[in-house]
Amino acid sequence: MSPTTSMSGQLAGRNPANESAPVRIAVKDLNFYYGQFHGLKNVNLNFHDRQVTALIGPSGCGKSTLLRTFNRIYSLYPEQRATGEILLDGQNVLDPKVDLNELRARVGMVFQKPTPFPMSIYDNVAFGLRLYERLPKSELDGRVEDALRKAALWDEVKDKMKQAGTGLSGGQQQRLCIARSVAQRPEVILFDEPTSALDPISTGRIEELIEQLRSEFTIVIVTHNMQQAARISQFTAFMYLGELVEFAPTTKIFMNPDQRQTQDYITGRFG
Amino acid sequence: MTALTQSLALARETASVRKGPSKGLDRAFQAASLGSALLVLLVLAGILGSIIYGGWPAFREFGFGFITSSAWNIGTEQYGALVAVIGTLASAFLALLIGVPISLGIAIYLTQLCPGWARKPVSMTIELLASVPSIIYGMWGLFIFAPLFARFVQTPVSNVFEGLPIVGSLLYARVPSGVGILTAGIILAIMIVPFVASITRDMLDQIPTVLRESAYGIGCTTWEVVRHVLVPQASVSIIGAVMLGLGRALGETMAVTFVIGNANRLSASIFDPGSTIASRIANEFNEADGMQLNALMALGCLLFVITFIVLIIARLLTRRAKLA
Repeated sequence: MSPTTSMSGQLAGRNPANESAPVRIAVKDLNFYYGQFHGLKNVNLNFHDRQVTALIGPSGCGKSTLLRTFNRIYSLYPEQRATGEILLDGQNVLDPKVDLNELRARVGMVFQKPTPFPMSIYDNVAFGLRLYERLPKSELDGRVEDALRKAALWDEVKDKMKQAGTGLSGGQQQRLCIARSVAQRPEVILFDEPTSALDPISTGRIEELIEQLRSEFTIVIVTHNMQQAARISQFTAFMYLGELVEFAPTTKIFMNPDQRQTQDYITGRFG
Repeated sequence: MTALTQSLALARETASVRKGPSKGLDRAFQAASLGSALLVLLVLAGILGSIIYGGWPAFREFGFGFITSSAWNIGTEQYGALVAVIGTLASAFLALLIGVPISLGIAIYLTQLCPGWARKPVSMTIELLASVPSIIYGMWGLFIFAPLFARFVQTPVSNVFEGLPIVGSLLYARVPSGVGILTAGIILAIMIVPFVASITRDMLDQIPTVLRESAYGIGCTTWEVVRHVLVPQASVSIIGAVMLGLGRALGETMAVTFVIGNANRLSASIFDPGSTIASRIANEFNEADGMQLNALMALGCLLFVITFIVLIIARLLTRRAKLA
């Protein structure tokens, strides 16, 4: 039985997966615990350079948990811990000696809801830069503009940079958050269901944006929306109950998955 | 079909069982709640009116000079509010200066750094501090704190700074008795900390987790998250909490009367005794009559005005913070 036709329609015309792209993040024997609960079980997975990898699976399958290990944001909560290795360009980010602030500049993150900081639009983008680099004003301005252009927001905000970031619409706020990440020139950007709080038009713009950002950044996106995964990713990982069920180029996952569970999920038979 | 008609009939019957809303009762209820609301206005207007009425002779007698004069002479019937007004503002200002940073520190510790098991006990202790009656603070301040303060702070500090410009007059006690404006400020600070700290804690708790995570997510340290994201995000509520503390500090009577020294003297030193409006009224009301009573009433009016101005400033500040 072949997967739904609507799905294959969306897959047409996409950029094919580049399986020979170098590995940016290598996950090895990753286990994750929320206190006693075993949230991730022996996950092994590679993320390729400048490709979009989508993590899909039913709620509670561990896809967000996996995403949250890459920048170790989970370590804000003392009861959460991870074992195994996550190699970012060969360096194990789970090593306790890793400088978390530096790691988070290299691995940016965009959340389910837009999270503009309580400051002006300009400062929202410049804030992350100022944490790491002491730039002269003109250069800072340039970096802010550059980031806003990459986040496809520049034209909408260039005349109101001094206004509060919270005054923008939901979709604009989310692009502002993307600009904030982009400004730091990270290697990897993590998206945790970035469009779940947005209307369809804003969602479309964010998806276009992710497609453009792929030329510079390695992108990992958690999504509940399988059409979204099919539209924007080159690779897809299907997770279920804390385990990685299948990882393959997105076309393969949606057209011809190896695992029965994967097929059942993407055809909507459970989830 | 019969079943349907039956159930319809049943429904009609149940509908008729419910008593129709009685118009009269509803109107009575509306009138009662309107009355409660009006009562507040009435009480406020009554108090304000009677104080103004009582203080009027003093205002008429001394005019604007009532505010600018530092005299308070019962023998010659010369009254001026300056010392008490300055004492009120200075002690409240010192209380905020000392209390607000401590409150913020407590709130930030409790919400960001404190291990889970310690949160409850620490919070409880702080809230207990709020339930201590002010007379206890006053007694403790006068009998225990003031002597220690005189011996270990006022005397050595006066010795060090004596003769120096500015600090030499600001921090110099001619008679290191322990009581004075600064002592009142410190006691007031202890009294407002639980309020400001617990409101600020609640406000910081209400900030969505994703905002905090996204600040950590761009690589902020805890200090940067707190300083640039959490505190500005909660700034409106924090200003509100501070103003609530200020209101309490301005009007606090019992504890301040114990430790401020009750002197009608204008001094540059915060170690020296002084008066606040509330402490002056508490001290003299019992034996006052004639013009002295009128002057005390007029002082009460001024306190009213000062707290009203604080309220207005708080409103303006919060409105500006909301717009920004």
